[in-house]
Amino acid sequence: MQTLQDLILRLSEFWARRGCVLQQPLDLEVGAGTMHPDTFLRVLGPEPWRVAYVQPSRRPADGRYGDNPFRLGKHLQFQVILKPAPADVQRLYVQSLAAIGLDLAVHDLRFEEDNWEAPTLGAWGVGWQVMLDGMEITQFTYFQQAGGLELRPISAEITYGLERLTMFLGLSRSIYEVAWVDGISYGQVRHQEEVELSRYYFEVADVAFAQQQFDGMERESVRCLDAGLVLPAYECALKCSHLFNVLDARGAVSVTERVGLMKRVRDLAVACAKAYVESRERLGFPLLPAPVPDAAAAVPEMPHGAR
Amino acid sequence: MARGEYLLEVRTEEIPARMLAAGVRELATRVFEELMARGLGPHEIETGFTPRRLLVRMAGVPPREPDREEQVMGPPVRAAYAGDNSPTPALLGFARRCGVEPEQLLRVVTEKGEYLAAARRTAGRPAATVLSELVPRILTGISWPKTMRWGAGEGPWVRPVHGLVSLLDGEVVPFELFGVAAGDQTAGHPILSPRPLKVRGAADYRRKLASRHIEVDPKRRRAVLAAAMHERAAALGGRLVEDEPLLDKLAALCEIPGVLEGSFDAAFLELPEEVLATSLRDHQSALTVVSRDGPAPARLLPYFLTVMDRPDDPAGRIRAGNEWVVAARLADARFFYGEDLAAGLGRRAEQLSRLAFHERLGSYAEKTERLVGLAETLCAELGWRDKAPAVAVAARLLKVDLVTEMVKEFTSLQGVMGGLYARHEGHPEEVWQAIYDQYLPVAAEDPIPRGRAGQVTGLADRFDTLVGMFGCGLVPTGSKDPFGLRRAAQGAVRIAFEGRLAVDFERLTAAAVALYGSRLERGAGDVWAILRPFLDDRIRYVLGLYGYAYDEIEAALAAGAANLPDLRARVDAIHRVRGEEAFLSVVLAAKRIANIVKDVPDQPLDPQRLLELAEPAERDLAAAFAGLRAEVETAAAAGDYERALRRIAELAPVLDRFFVEVLVMDPDERVRTNRIALLQAILRTVSRTAKLTEVVVDRTEHRARAGT
Repeated sequence: MQTLQDLILRLSEFWARRGCVLQQPLDLEVGAGTMHPDTFLRVLGPEPWRVAYVQPSRRPADGRYGDNPFRLGKHLQFQVILKPAPADVQRLYVQSLAAIGLDLAVHDLRFEEDNWEAPTLGAWGVGWQVMLDGMEITQFTYFQQAGGLELRPISAEITYGLERLTMFLGLSRSIYEVAWVDGISYGQVRHQEEVELSRYYFEVADVAFAQQQFDGMERESVRCLDAGLVLPAYECALKCSHLFNVLDARGAVSVTERVGLMKRVRDLAVACAKAYVESRERLGFPLLPAPVPDAAAAVPEMPHGAR
Repeated sequence: MARGEYLLEVRTEEIPARMLAAGVRELATRVFEELMARGLGPHEIETGFTPRRLLVRMAGVPPREPDREEQVMGPPVRAAYAGDNSPTPALLGFARRCGVEPEQLLRVVTEKGEYLAAARRTAGRPAATVLSELVPRILTGISWPKTMRWGAGEGPWVRPVHGLVSLLDGEVVPFELFGVAAGDQTAGHPILSPRPLKVRGAADYRRKLASRHIEVDPKRRRAVLAAAMHERAAALGGRLVEDEPLLDKLAALCEIPGVLEGSFDAAFLELPEEVLATSLRDHQSALTVVSRDGPAPARLLPYFLTVMDRPDDPAGRIRAGNEWVVAARLADARFFYGEDLAAGLGRRAEQLSRLAFHERLGSYAEKTERLVGLAETLCAELGWRDKAPAVAVAARLLKVDLVTEMVKEFTSLQGVMGGLYARHEGHPEEVWQAIYDQYLPVAAEDPIPRGRAGQVTGLADRFDTLVGMFGCGLVPTGSKDPFGLRRAAQGAVRIAFEGRLAVDFERLTAAAVALYGSRLERGAGDVWAILRPFLDDRIRYVLGLYGYAYDEIEAALAAGAANLPDLRARVDAIHRVRGEEAFLSVVLAAKRIANIVKDVPDQPLDPQRLLELAEPAERDLAAAFAGLRAEVETAAAAGDYERALRRIAELAPVLDRFFVEVLVMDPDERVRTNRIALLQAILRTVSRTAKLTEVVVDRTEHRARAGT
């Protein structure tokens, strides 16, 4: 039986062998792996990039006090970015499923349209939800725009829902029964956290304090941008995004406020995206391969690792 | 192999199911049209697709374009010859460029004078040359609803392209698309038979794919799926619940039409069937099975049928996986259902203040208050005071299900869930059905809400939306109608027609505007001025759906639309009498009268002055009109418009005689005025039912039938 940990190890190894930087989770609360700067910012601009990491993703409103066997307020995403998306990216993805022990000769794999859009990031992409035997196991997206900027080259984003995938491979009845590793269940690792986070986000979180923090983080983000500090500015924007989710879960966002708050987060993300590209340009886009005569127009090769 | 056979296959990553049919149709149509324009029209063309392939096959493409003769214009004659009539360098240069001797040049007279010209014969190009230029251009130009870029920035197109087969009579017609070169290789199923396949032509292509279970014809895939599903449902002791759009979608989600059967725990059957069927359809793209027709109503059975993109389920893993997902989904649905029941509609209603109806029009809590008010006004207008209590309860609960867990999960269950929850809470039938039916009708074949309470609240809801949106300038333009206002207006019109609700839309609009208070920028008059033509268009459209001709509709509409059931009765009366000879004569007479009196102010008919009419034909007309006027007006007032029109038609012979024998525009002013007053009175009376001048009469047909 595959454990959650096996999945993380095998996916990490598979993608590391294909030239991905094995990055670590962002040490901030985010709603999805996409928000990690190694995705959101690195997909901008011309520099090639390959990265893989696990990102704990918090969606306060999805919390169910640890009672629902399928729903979590915090789950793990395994996130892969391939920039530019290689022509055989779909085949690579299928190989990654084989690497985690799936015998596709006895399964049904389908790619069904599912376009991704994150209004608070000014980002959208085109792609599919990947269905394995009727279960959505992966989001597969070709990023088209981020931070309001058109992207070129195009990145492929592959996001595996680790809990779902582990559950599905074992046809488990509850996420909490899944083995994190032999002898330790997911519930033993995380159940208390789900219960307490649900209570916190739904009942306890101090609305006025969260609002204050939102306002403060927004100011801080702008201050950082003014000081030429893109990455700290982006971190503040992410904190705003999370605080918005907390306020929302707490039922503290009114109809009219909602649109306004989302716009404030988007404005920060858009400003950070623009400033990031400018900062990389000032550095001379250091990940671009040195220009070779005759090949200047070619697709940049990956700077590290084998294909 | 058929001569002139062209095979085109585009292999891509998975194209969205909703885009496939239209995409391949556009491709084939444009290829066909462009070939026709070049004299290369095939005598046969067929298409196919799977999520990963677009296919066009043509037969009978001529081997080459016909040769073309064309005239190439040269210099004007006056610049072609020198004073001594010898050829100028301009002439010689032109002849040389065209490759002809100077004496072969022609003279052509144009608007600008006489010019030299050369006849040039262009040899037609081979079909392969034309195709290799045409096909990539048409492919890149397909208008997909949403496009993307990939890799270094290739595209835009619907999805990345991976392979191209382009064969004319077995020979590769070369071209390139997004860096992919056309050739003679395809591939099977990406997981089951991924190896490249060399193909020689369409028959070979089909044979090779068929041996890998791939069916490229979507109609055949669909038929295979449907047949297998019916068979499976029968084997399970039930009957498949047909779902045409879902079957179309399933056929576009696979290239191998495999049917997957699964079952779920019968304990889930305690959930409402609407919830089970929606969860299976929306989440799993699965069809449901019901018990066979018998004395008892059909009941849902604990099975589902969906598609798998492969012929079999060798390890039972696919069934196990699908059943696992369905069980998880239904457990979720049961959880939502339980939560909603526990919360109750009353408590959920408190959350409506946090749900935006529209950012400029406030929350659903505000909308609910307006709905209660508007529904009450409607009951009063219609004289349905006995319905008012039920209507008020329904209006108050109408939108509450938007904040239930179930509707947040399955938006398509809006209305239905509110109805089911209201029933569960013990509300009477007219209340819960009003909530359940509130979005009806959506499609043309849908009925309107079943009960009076549903019709009243449905109408109030739509008018509140229409008035709010129009009142802040959100008027649909062209194909842009993001709030579905055309559908809302159409629903309102159908409810009024089919529910026979004699509601004056202008007054309803004014009431709705008043309920918005300061939210709207425009007053009732301004809103009605833009809403009225919009509603009239919907009225025309709906009457057209009922089968009335456009001139019948225009004629009745021009006589007023303040009361839709009455309007429909008038259209119907015109429809029934319009084929009759006497009626057509009256229509022609009405047009003639309208023409005569069009610039004359309306004047009352003074009975005293009628006595002054002297000509026999006019005296007869006045007498005939006086004889039937009261009867026509009584019939019309009673809503018997057919009788009114038939009585009017009796004026035909006297009117015809009047126009033959009497000159209306008599030099004597008093005589003239009297005649005009008579005609105006007649026109007023005949126009109550319909503005007859709008009815189109085919004059030749009329005369033929009249035997003149």
